[in-house]
Amino acid sequence: METLVLWLLVLAFAGWFARQVASRLRLIAAAPDTLSFDHAGVRIRRFLVDVIGQRTTITGRPLAGLAHAFVFWGFVVFSGYTVAEFLYGLGLVDVVHRTWFVGYRAVLTPFAVAVLGGIVYLLLRRAIARPIGLGDTLSLESVLIALFIASLMVTFLLTWWLDEASAAGRVNWWAHSLVILTFLAVIPSSKHFHLVLSPFTVMLKSLELGTVPNLDFEKEEVGLETVKDLGRKIVLDALTCVECGRCQVNCPAWGAGKALNPKAVVLQTQEALLAGQKDRKLAEIYSEEVLWQCTTCGACEQQCPVGIEHLPLIIGSRRGLVSNGEAPGYLAATYNNLERRANIWGLPSDQRQKFITSAGLETFDPQKHDVLVWLGCAGGYEADFQRSLRSLFDVLRLKQVRFGVLAKERCTGDPAKRTGNEYLYQELATANVEQLKAVAPRTILTSCPHCLKTLGSDYRLVGYQTEVVHSSVFVEKLTRDTVARERPGETVTYHDPCYLGRYAGRVDEPRALLERLGATVREPARTRDNPYCCGAGGGLFFADKEEEHGARISDIRLKQLRETGSGTIVTACPFCSIMLKGAQASALAGSESAGAGDVQIVDLMTFVGGRLAKT
Amino acid sequence: MTIGVCIKQVPARDWQPRLNEAHSWIRDVDVAYEMNEPDAYALEEALRLKEKHGGEVVACSAGPARVTQVLREALARGADRAIHVEDDRLADADAGVVADVLALAMKHEPFDLILTGLQSDDQGSAQTGVLLAAHLGIPHATIIMDVQVDGRTLRVKRELEGGWFQWIAMGLPAVLTIQSGINQLRYATLKGIMAARKKEIRSVAAPPRLEPRQKIVSLYAPEKTKKTELIEGTPAEAARTLVKKLRDEARVI
Amino acid sequence: MILVVGEARGGNLNRSSWEAVAAAQQLAGGEPVAVAVLGANVAAAAAELAHAQVAEVIAVENPALDPYTPDGYVVALQQTVEPLDPSIVLLAHTYQTRDYAPTIAARMARALVTDVIRFRVVGEERRFARPMFQGKLTADVVPLGPRPHFVTLQVGAFRADQAARAAQPAPIRSLSVQLEPGAIRQQPEAPFQEARQAVDLSQASRIVSVGRGIKEAANIGLVQRLADALGAELAASRPICDAGWLPMERQVGSSGQTVAPKLYLAVGISGAIQHLVGMKGASTIVAINKDPDAPIFEVADYGVVGDLFEVVPALTAALKE
Repeated sequence: METLVLWLLVLAFAGWFARQVASRLRLIAAAPDTLSFDHAGVRIRRFLVDVIGQRTTITGRPLAGLAHAFVFWGFVVFSGYTVAEFLYGLGLVDVVHRTWFVGYRAVLTPFAVAVLGGIVYLLLRRAIARPIGLGDTLSLESVLIALFIASLMVTFLLTWWLDEASAAGRVNWWAHSLVILTFLAVIPSSKHFHLVLSPFTVMLKSLELGTVPNLDFEKEEVGLETVKDLGRKIVLDALTCVECGRCQVNCPAWGAGKALNPKAVVLQTQEALLAGQKDRKLAEIYSEEVLWQCTTCGACEQQCPVGIEHLPLIIGSRRGLVSNGEAPGYLAATYNNLERRANIWGLPSDQRQKFITSAGLETFDPQKHDVLVWLGCAGGYEADFQRSLRSLFDVLRLKQVRFGVLAKERCTGDPAKRTGNEYLYQELATANVEQLKAVAPRTILTSCPHCLKTLGSDYRLVGYQTEVVHSSVFVEKLTRDTVARERPGETVTYHDPCYLGRYAGRVDEPRALLERLGATVREPARTRDNPYCCGAGGGLFFADKEEEHGARISDIRLKQLRETGSGTIVTACPFCSIMLKGAQASALAGSESAGAGDVQIVDLMTFVGGRLAKT
Repeated sequence: MTIGVCIKQVPARDWQPRLNEAHSWIRDVDVAYEMNEPDAYALEEALRLKEKHGGEVVACSAGPARVTQVLREALARGADRAIHVEDDRLADADAGVVADVLALAMKHEPFDLILTGLQSDDQGSAQTGVLLAAHLGIPHATIIMDVQVDGRTLRVKRELEGGWFQWIAMGLPAVLTIQSGINQLRYATLKGIMAARKKEIRSVAAPPRLEPRQKIVSLYAPEKTKKTELIEGTPAEAARTLVKKLRDEARVI
Repeated sequence: MILVVGEARGGNLNRSSWEAVAAAQQLAGGEPVAVAVLGANVAAAAAELAHAQVAEVIAVENPALDPYTPDGYVVALQQTVEPLDPSIVLLAHTYQTRDYAPTIAARMARALVTDVIRFRVVGEERRFARPMFQGKLTADVVPLGPRPHFVTLQVGAFRADQAARAAQPAPIRSLSVQLEPGAIRQQPEAPFQEARQAVDLSQASRIVSVGRGIKEAANIGLVQRLADALGAELAASRPICDAGWLPMERQVGSSGQTVAPKLYLAVGISGAIQHLVGMKGASTIVAINKDPDAPIFEVADYGVVGDLFEVVPALTAALKE
């Protein structure tokens, strides 16, 4: 009799589960295929480290992450137990009465305790501590699931005391089984669908942060306009979101009180997909203003424990807007500058030539020079950054590195790419690639992390590949023989540029360099590969005259850096430098000028150049 | 409304001058070309008028084959079709010749309004638009900052020296030369660029005999180049010197 | 003979007319010089021009010539030029001239050379130098075809104070022209200056911009007085607007509309790139800063390295002299 009831229940709940999964699979199948299975070895390793090993989950939030890891590992090892009990209950196979099964249950017991401890901690954290990333209102669904998991562990542990034949034992068994069946049915329509999808989203995640494929104009691709344009990976991502809020609390725009909330963007996507709103405009779902507040710092993608890629969604949506001429006015001006003068400020190229002449730079010749120095827009036209480049040139000359520059450079196209003007980006990139292939440098050296990312990684998709290295890395290697000087500890705080620290993972070299020159490096809140953005990326650099929603990201970051108490802030990106100095200027003019002036903001190469000369 | 826009292709603003052998024109090698900036503003104004009043925008240009670049750009920004008077002799032709050939190509089109930039970045004669109006026998106004169309009446805001302006009413059809900065330029969108490939550029030949109005005897680099002049002296002395220079040299006060 | 066409608005003679007279006298080389001025009532302007050393002053008057319209002026000027048969008609390259000179050239099927900065006589040939390619090159051109040739002169290229004056005033001849008001296709309204409801820096022809060198909000008055003396709009760099010392509409920055005044005076501004880019359209840039290495000096035409608290008041005073 019980067996029959169980069969009916299993069929009903499993059927309900299958129906829900099927409708989601249809959504996934209907989406344009954007999945990549290349580098299988890397992806499998990722599965082992991040899914099985729960690395990102734990490193992002150690205590909660570990608690979740216990719950997950427990879930995995319990799967055998669950299957065995159901097979028995359905009258198919009985292994639960074998002698070794007791041993199995004994092994499971500490796991059950760990799971129970973990889930109780997580439940209390959610319900009482109410961390902001978990939402403004308490999620009853999450509480329910937590209670499900807790009761599963309790009912399991009770089997040690209850006789399975007794009434209490039967009730306990049925309670356990019903919770499992209910849980099963609830999984697809809750954030617990990640149980099914996240191994895939983690493995299918692009190998590099912020990977946004080129648009194919022959195929008349224009970017993402409506829900039905969303690619398969984005659909998987939207359905797998665990609503942990890590992307949200790490987002610099959200942190500055702006409307952009990466978690909301993902969940709004999910909602629209599940409601079948295929033709709904993405810009209307997220609101246009939100889309333009992203600095593309990548914190969201990097912190996500289930492999969600927010950037292709945001940049893809930007493309849809830009293709229709709906970019904000300040970007239209920048596009015109890039179009007409091939630099972001629209300045005439003889200004760059003036710098080249005054710095005594040679035109790159592959026969004569080992290294091509890529000046970038800031290197060509911004006086402050040019000072740091002069220090770089001094170091290179001191170390007898033979280097040259291009007589004429076009912007790498980074601002066009990150703001969704793919046509302009490809125009600039193709022209640059043609020139680079003609001179064929073995190594390109640049002091701008944005040029680094674009030349070194994005240009591969336009058919160009060579070694591209940031000056901090190059100079660090170059100066390894420099004996560290005896100096009273000059304390500096190093601000990791997003495109160098997070995107390129280069966090040790700048610090090694600073320490080698006698500085003591202090770390601000949010540092190394999870820095807090300066606010320049994603086209926001050009919005300096716009009315700002919330606070300015650069002001917040400057405050964080000043809180370390160092006399000097060092950074390694021309745009971080401009933004932080701008924030300092604003602070000095305003009411919080107390002490704002007594910190020096300096580029890494300027710092190095000055001190290296004296060694 | 059928709006014609006359667009010139000129060397890019940051192009470094190189002269031909005879020093009678620039060396047309390795020159980056672009749409004359005042004409870009004229095109933008035409596109806005079309968006407001309906109709079509026809981009017109006179020059060698390469000027199709700026016509395609105009089409990508939203112009509906283009007319190209194609002839190599037009590369260094003076405004008189250009206005002649444009008038010939444009006179059979039912233009309600013709817009062009107030002058070109290369020769900068500031004549072509006004000459065109004379050849077509229609009224004109120059250095326009605002265009308002109401049925068959036109009301335009003309810029005068010294911060003064003036509204002028005229009937259609008319020619207007447009001042830079009248509006904010749109960029060519991806969709626009794709659509432009399918739009028509009608090529017409220039007449066999052209009538130049001027001859360039020699082209050369001017003596003075831009340099910062630091003014010395006590504050009072420097102030007086500065005022004098602004008044007599720079002529801005 | 050489005919100079002067320009008067509301009876007042434009200073550039004297520049054209000076140029005509230098160019004439033996030919007589006559000056014409058009309008409804040009008696005062003609009397002023009569002080020049010229053969005669022609007062071309007709009620339909005020207000100025291109149609009116072309008809009147054609009737003035044709009987005189000059070799050259010289005008100043003013906004008004640009509006009608090409039309009369087309009407009379004659050549027009514009924006001339110099001339050179080589044998029989008069060569006119004019800027090309945004001033990167100069071209010596020769007008072709039958006389008269029309030539406009860049304002300020010739010096008004070099116009020779005569002891005795030149004869003033009145010329009445046939002009049907119906032949005029333009209906101009009265000229006006923009009402100052909103600040529109993009339209300002002169701007005085203040930066952090000003130190405190209270000191802005110093710079405001300079701006008033120059008839300029007040603008600021971003930190000043951030601090609320001036409203956001006065910020000169890199996004949106940039400014392109004839004169941009940067006071206490170091020249961060966002600001530089916002002002790059200015024709003449003056910088006052106590730091000689400030990037603003790279782009300035004139610079004063000094304490703005001394230089600015001195400048205001010098302007009032």
